[in-house]
Amino acid sequence: MNLMGIIFANIYDSSLGELTNKRTMASLPYGGRYRQIDFALSNMTACGIRHIGIISRYNYQSLMNHIGSGEEWDLEMQEGGLEFLTPYASGTSSSFKGKLDALNSAMDFLEFGEEEYVILADPGMVYNIDLKAVVEAHIASGKDITVVTKPGVANGKKRLDMAITVKDGAITDMAVDYEAPEGYLASIGLFVISKDLLIHEVKESVARNLYRFERDFVLRQYLAGNLSVNIYTYDGIVLFTESTEEYYKANLATIDPDIRKGLFRGAHPIYTKVRDQVPSYYGEGCNLEDCTLADGCMLEGTVRNSVLFRHVNVGAGAVIEDSVIMNDTVVGENAYLKCVILDKDVVVSPGARLVGTPTNPVILKRGETV
Amino acid sequence: MFVNKKRCVAMLLAGGQGSRLKVLTENTAKPAVPFGGKYRIIDFPLSNCVNSGIDTVGILTQYQPLELNEYIGNGQPWGLNKSHCCAQVLPPYAQSKKSEWYKGTANAIYQNLAFISRFNPEYVLILSGDHIYKMDYAAMINFHEKTGADCTIAVRDVPMEEASRFGIMNTHPDGTIYEFEEKPKVPKSTNASMGIYVFKWSILRDYLTADENDPNSDNDFGKNIIPNLLNDGRKLMAYGFEGYWKDVGTIDSLWEANMELLGKNPEFDIRGTGRNKIYARNSAMPSSYVDAKAKTVNCFIAEGSEIFGSVKNSIVSVGCYIGEGATVENSVLMPGTVIEAGAIVRHAILGENSRVCANAVVGGTFAEGEKKEISVTQKNATVPANSVLFPGEML
Repeated sequence: MNLMGIIFANIYDSSLGELTNKRTMASLPYGGRYRQIDFALSNMTACGIRHIGIISRYNYQSLMNHIGSGEEWDLEMQEGGLEFLTPYASGTSSSFKGKLDALNSAMDFLEFGEEEYVILADPGMVYNIDLKAVVEAHIASGKDITVVTKPGVANGKKRLDMAITVKDGAITDMAVDYEAPEGYLASIGLFVISKDLLIHEVKESVARNLYRFERDFVLRQYLAGNLSVNIYTYDGIVLFTESTEEYYKANLATIDPDIRKGLFRGAHPIYTKVRDQVPSYYGEGCNLEDCTLADGCMLEGTVRNSVLFRHVNVGAGAVIEDSVIMNDTVVGENAYLKCVILDKDVVVSPGARLVGTPTNPVILKRGETV
Repeated sequence: MFVNKKRCVAMLLAGGQGSRLKVLTENTAKPAVPFGGKYRIIDFPLSNCVNSGIDTVGILTQYQPLELNEYIGNGQPWGLNKSHCCAQVLPPYAQSKKSEWYKGTANAIYQNLAFISRFNPEYVLILSGDHIYKMDYAAMINFHEKTGADCTIAVRDVPMEEASRFGIMNTHPDGTIYEFEEKPKVPKSTNASMGIYVFKWSILRDYLTADENDPNSDNDFGKNIIPNLLNDGRKLMAYGFEGYWKDVGTIDSLWEANMELLGKNPEFDIRGTGRNKIYARNSAMPSSYVDAKAKTVNCFIAEGSEIFGSVKNSIVSVGCYIGEGATVENSVLMPGTVIEAGAIVRHAILGENSRVCANAVVGGTFAEGEKKEISVTQKNATVPANSVLFPGEML
């Protein structure tokens, strides 16, 4: 397919607090053994895209470390392949003013690419989608841009980047940054557009101090009658991780068999960086109930309704409930954790007790010892 | 490939049929047999090479090479796909004058002298793809260099009563080998050859060439090359190795070696960091899932598995499924095995993607001290619902 991909690694200052202090949204660990960008990358490569740009302005070291040459996604190539679109020696850690600003910074990448269409993706949502079907629908529609949406997300509380209603195939309302009521379709930050149109619009918008993709380009031009919009409604699993609470819930959601099936055994496999851990060892006294576990864990304690990443040690007598435990952590003997997110390399001392709530989980920063 | 000169090139003999593994090697070369949940036997010598700083490995395949070739690929999982190093699969090939299968271990290397020549090495390390162990080959090569030997053979001490099953190296107190006896009825010592040799490249080349010109030779390292070196008064040294080392050439030993990974302080610790790590080609499987109804005691469970039943003292490889009410004990489930609800599996090795249907019974239990008869299913086999596969039976 004649496609290139662009992934926005970190557009806005994230609302994920300490979890994204030292990493991009894209490199946020997810689902036991992945980083969030693995989904966007795997979706793109599965439909044959071999030219992908990752736009990142700051904090991209962990992301580059994760992706390397892109060989896990078959992106280590002579021509095309993967490009990190980062600013030269930017001393500031300022974020982009918006996706149009970010795309403008990647103008060389866009202009030198020979592909006809561009897919834009945002790693703030995880899903396993057949992009070939999306692009085919886009071409068949004859419209200028396709916005991929998910029903059932809008609830009147969650602020959506873009919300749309459709009746009999025609758009009846389009709103941005909107706490849309039920019945609206939520944009999942996934767009298909012709490259020439995108380049033109980015240049025209940025020249007029317009930076927000959804507000200043899609909505503005749609309302002005200059842009025809195709809505692609995706019924599969989409999980948003735009706040700490959403991130926590979206991780525990992977314990559900239907969600696991939809995310990991859907249209195609999700690839990630190989860590070469041994299989997890389940000791004599361990007790696991409704958990997902990556390789390399050493389990002696009790774990309920939790997600354990790679190489987690759970000591004898420890109890972990409703928690997300990232890689290379140690939970000491007889510790008790409930509704906790442990970032990488955290050490929980024997007997320690940490209790959060589902809406306000306790978060321990990377490398912390308690 | 830019090559000036390599200190050491490794040649890994991976062509063996492994017929004593019976149905497990019906369509698979022995080195490609799964081990330890996510590995294959060949991962151990390959990882040892990488961990010892040997970055050029020729892998000699012959029997059922397809799966093995695919597994090795470009050597990327072991970091052997860079411009200065390689993992090269070397199947027998048609030469200008003749074309033939590898006649023996020595002939297999002989047919690939051109491959070794390209790297102009000081030393050549000969390995086999039949053993589970972690070993620093660099220490052995350094020993070889220091002693100035023509050939160094790794040996390990075996109990006297088992010595007659091995090739025994009889040595002087300084470690020089004066005699080699293949499976001696009355062993003089307990230094068993591990089938790991370091040669001076020039010596190896000359002896392989001479051996090839001897029509009466079996073209075998143990039977011909080593005795010829000894007869010519060459300097052969024994290099003692004391770590875990297991020949997994039989069903019983393969099962035992898997079981020896288990426990808090296992006989063989498969874990490791840095230069103690075993690398494998990873499959893109999600995390495993353990249900509230499951019971998991003293087992390894690899990614991509889903556990609803009871697992004890077992190895569960990537992508397995154990249904509700099923029992798995003292068994090895190779990748992709499915145990349906209510089935019972004890003392068994189940081949890749095999399926034990609902309420079937595989294997049995054994009294203390009784010989454990391991039940085995081959790749893609199905044990029908409510049927029985008896202890020691194969499917």
